[in-house]
Amino acid sequence: MTIPTYDFVTLLQTFAEHQVDLIVVGGVCAVLHGAPINTFDLDLVHSRAPDNLERLLGALQALDARYRDPAGRKLRPQLSHLASTGHQLLTGTAGPFDLLGTIGTGLGYPDLLQHTVELQVGPGLHVRVLDLAKLIEIKEQLGRDKDRAVLPILRRTLEEKLRGGDPDR
Amino acid sequence: MTVNRPAEDKEGIARVRQDRSAYSEDGVDLTLVRWMLSLKPAERLQVLQQHVRAILRLRHDNPHL
Repeated sequence: MTIPTYDFVTLLQTFAEHQVDLIVVGGVCAVLHGAPINTFDLDLVHSRAPDNLERLLGALQALDARYRDPAGRKLRPQLSHLASTGHQLLTGTAGPFDLLGTIGTGLGYPDLLQHTVELQVGPGLHVRVLDLAKLIEIKEQLGRDKDRAVLPILRRTLEEKLRGGDPDR
Repeated sequence: MTVNRPAEDKEGIARVRQDRSAYSEDGVDLTLVRWMLSLKPAERLQVLQQHVRAILRLRHDNPHL
């Protein structure tokens, strides 16, 4: 049995190289804001504008992306899947990631854009990330056990950032 | 094996362990939050990456668990 690949930077780098408009949300977003949590998910809300979907398909091809299928079939996402509001649970050469058409109460890329910040996550690599206050708000609205479990850490992280005047909040 | 520490070390450790500001009222370890906030976003991502790889390696090396 081999150890699965998880390479968040390569994933983000590939999307950046293909100029895909997307927003990092979920656990990796929380970590980038300084929350001391662990996650195996890279959750991304992508723009469903037609030209962006074309660029996204190019990035997915470069990553050899396919659905995480327990049966091991190589099912690849199509344009119509990416244009939907649904969640595409994928994996590829750089590991698993989720492409989310919408999150929370049906919020898509254009709805979330005003609640984002751009952060540098590698040499010359900048990504758009949901701001921590909005991430907390969405998790509060969802109210699932897995969201409630992490909320205290997210709230204290936001408090400490505000107290310390963290510029990347 | 018991490690004998100088008395002042023991007092210092006891002070740190009793430092209520290390935890929020809801039990969050604020020392970890502050440490993560001292890092740049790229460094925070590296920390996560290292943790994920460490967990996967542990799982791989201990398939019976």
